[in-house]
Amino acid sequence: PGAAAMGTGTPPSPSGTAFEETRLHVFTLDYPHVQIPFEITLWILLASLAKIGFHLYHKLPSIVPESCLLILVGLLLGGIIFGAEEKSPPVMNSDVFFLYLLPPIVLDAGYFMPTRLFFENFGTIFWYAVVGTLWNAIGIGISLYGICQISAFGLTDITLLQNLLFGSLISAVDPVAVLAVFENIHVNEQLYILVFGESLLNDAITVVLYNLFKSFCQMRTIKVIDIFAGIANFFIVGIGGVLIGILLGFVAAFTTRFTHKIRVIEPLFVFLYSYLSYITAEMFHLSGIMAITACAMTMNKYVEENVSQKSYTTIKYFMKMLSSVSETLIFIFMGVSTVGKNHEWNWAFVSFTLLFCLIWRALGVFVLTQIINVFRTIPLTFKDQFIIAYGGLRGAICFSLVFLLPPAVFPRKKLFITAVIVVIFFTVFIQGITIRPLVEFLDVKRSNKKQPAVSEEIYNRFFDHVKTGIEDVCGHWGHNFWRDKFKKFDNKYLRRLLIRENQPKSSIVSLYKKLEIKHAIEMAESGMISKVPSSVSLSDYHEGKIKPLSPTEMENMREILTKNLYQIRHRTMSYNRHSLAADASEKQAKEILIRRRHSLRESLRKTNSLSRERPVLA
Amino acid sequence: LSSSLAVTSEQIEHLHRRFKQLSQDQLTIRKENFDSIPDLEFNPIRGKIVHAFFDKRNLRQESDGLADEINFEDFLTIMSYFRPIEMNMDEEQLDRFRKEKLKFLFHMYDSDHDGKITLQEYRNVVEELLSGNPHLEKESARSIADGAMMEAASICVGQMGPDQVYEGITFEDFLKMWQGIDIETKMHVRFLNVDTIAHCY
Repeated sequence: PGAAAMGTGTPPSPSGTAFEETRLHVFTLDYPHVQIPFEITLWILLASLAKIGFHLYHKLPSIVPESCLLILVGLLLGGIIFGAEEKSPPVMNSDVFFLYLLPPIVLDAGYFMPTRLFFENFGTIFWYAVVGTLWNAIGIGISLYGICQISAFGLTDITLLQNLLFGSLISAVDPVAVLAVFENIHVNEQLYILVFGESLLNDAITVVLYNLFKSFCQMRTIKVIDIFAGIANFFIVGIGGVLIGILLGFVAAFTTRFTHKIRVIEPLFVFLYSYLSYITAEMFHLSGIMAITACAMTMNKYVEENVSQKSYTTIKYFMKMLSSVSETLIFIFMGVSTVGKNHEWNWAFVSFTLLFCLIWRALGVFVLTQIINVFRTIPLTFKDQFIIAYGGLRGAICFSLVFLLPPAVFPRKKLFITAVIVVIFFTVFIQGITIRPLVEFLDVKRSNKKQPAVSEEIYNRFFDHVKTGIEDVCGHWGHNFWRDKFKKFDNKYLRRLLIRENQPKSSIVSLYKKLEIKHAIEMAESGMISKVPSSVSLSDYHEGKIKPLSPTEMENMREILTKNLYQIRHRTMSYNRHSLAADASEKQAKEILIRRRHSLRESLRKTNSLSRERPVLA
Repeated sequence: LSSSLAVTSEQIEHLHRRFKQLSQDQLTIRKENFDSIPDLEFNPIRGKIVHAFFDKRNLRQESDGLADEINFEDFLTIMSYFRPIEMNMDEEQLDRFRKEKLKFLFHMYDSDHDGKITLQEYRNVVEELLSGNPHLEKESARSIADGAMMEAASICVGQMGPDQVYEGITFEDFLKMWQGIDIETKMHVRFLNVDTIAHCY
């Protein structure tokens, strides 16, 4: 009846044309209307479901890094699409990769980067990133050119410049791949920061070399001035990117100073400013990766203090979610794009590319380490060198760069694509899977995750001051000196400007306050609060004063407690990108509480210098 | 001298120059000479650092207490606590190395030289550390020290009975607490580049 009633509705009569009257449709399917968002959602959903699938078998992620599994899924998908539609599946658009998929990953990594360790090793990281990448690029380029000269391989039409360009794009260590593999093996922080820092910083050099050689390939004559322009370009790209990042980082910190009335959109500012720094840098063809890293590192300290606790949690989780999704998509797309017709196989080129990548990387790390060890106080051991060389994984960046090559200038583009894919697959699969057993076999020092403890914080601070003091006595401007100077500058100017309620921060005090709040919450929860005197009144015992707590004082205390809840931050060194560190155990807090009651009793006995009146509780 | 302290002759030269500066070309340094280092003023635990130079336990002398003045050899002895780790050290040497450095730190905490860090001494340390922070009250510093002592007790002694008194942190306990931190790689100062800075003072 319903349908019939619908059917008899009078449709508007078209003026004068003789085509059929269409009945009103009960049910319509309009795919083109939603095609793009629908497909994007499906891809992301698929990626996330794949991730769930991996973790179902809990042993799997420890043997095979997720990146490999994702590429396999991508390959499978690509195969299905290819088989079904008989044409090459959608290749990952380089623009999509560089503008949308890469920034969240770099942002996440930069935001949670341990800054202190990074700056302590900055010289070494910079050395590896710049000189190492140059070494690799030119080495691979020239040796491949040598191979191409051998006419038996049929490669003589590839010029020197094209080889150099290929070398430059394939020598870049990829931060995405490094993160994906290293997060599961938990090497000590120093090694991690060296490999990861290198993968971030070498973006500057890669961008410069790539653009340089690409333009050289398209220019007819090359003058010496162009080479100097290239060198100047490197400095501009690197430093410019960092400056943009720092500038926007400060602007972001300053903005968050005023956001206390609109807490809800605080996280948005963090993301917007960092993304802005990335695309601004890309607009000027500067290094976007360095810009966003610098922005995140600058912003981190100040934003943490201005932003509410909930916003901070939101930022943390959202960032991790975005980067996780991006990474998954990247690997799946890599798998999908591999299947298809844009390949050209040449045994010699592909195998020699792979060989040279490995050889030059190993040589490069070895030679560079010998040089840099002279300047380091703690030299890098052979084990460290091996892991650094082995951890030089290639990934999606070189993949996208090779797709960006203009085919008019590069008639053998398909050959390059094939070679790049082989190298990436080799590094991700073989090196990714074997690095964990190797790390265990070589007994590389692992990171030890400990619970935060006040005494440890005290020791660390004490130790820092001792070191600084000794350095002052020696008259040596070590790292500590610069860090101290920066801290003073920071406290005097920056913090006053960028932080809303500036209280001089002591890491000891904040950590202590945090543990105290936990105790207080514990006590309240277990109903002990009426029986056990609070720490405030206990310290009154020490002084011999008696202060019954008036209602206004209670109110003040409560206010202080709640206010401090907004001020306290748990500083996590989040190396594992897919899970956030759990809070310190309840048991430890309880133990501490019980102990303190004892100790305070003991100390009461020992410090008999106090004249104690019988405390009168109102 | 060089072999016993494992400092290179180049470093000795640098330190000698620095020593001469500090002592104003005399043969020994007294406590007052340390006042001439401007940056040390800002260091909250300045007193303890200067004290450490004159602490006879650090100078490897048999007696106890404080020396009045130290000569260059003593200066070097103190500095040798901060030399970086060498590649060719074996397990036993590394362990000794680490213990030496930790002993140096222990002596800085233990101001009354009785071999134990008591609650009062610990409080003293924390108060000094936080003395650079004008907004902090003494009570907070004290409670922090108490809390830290608690943690130390729970690590070193484990479960304590209700009437047990925790005397203080002994050197063995101290070692236990620093177990996770690789002090050998962190506690070092480069003795180079004194030249460029020398003329600033």
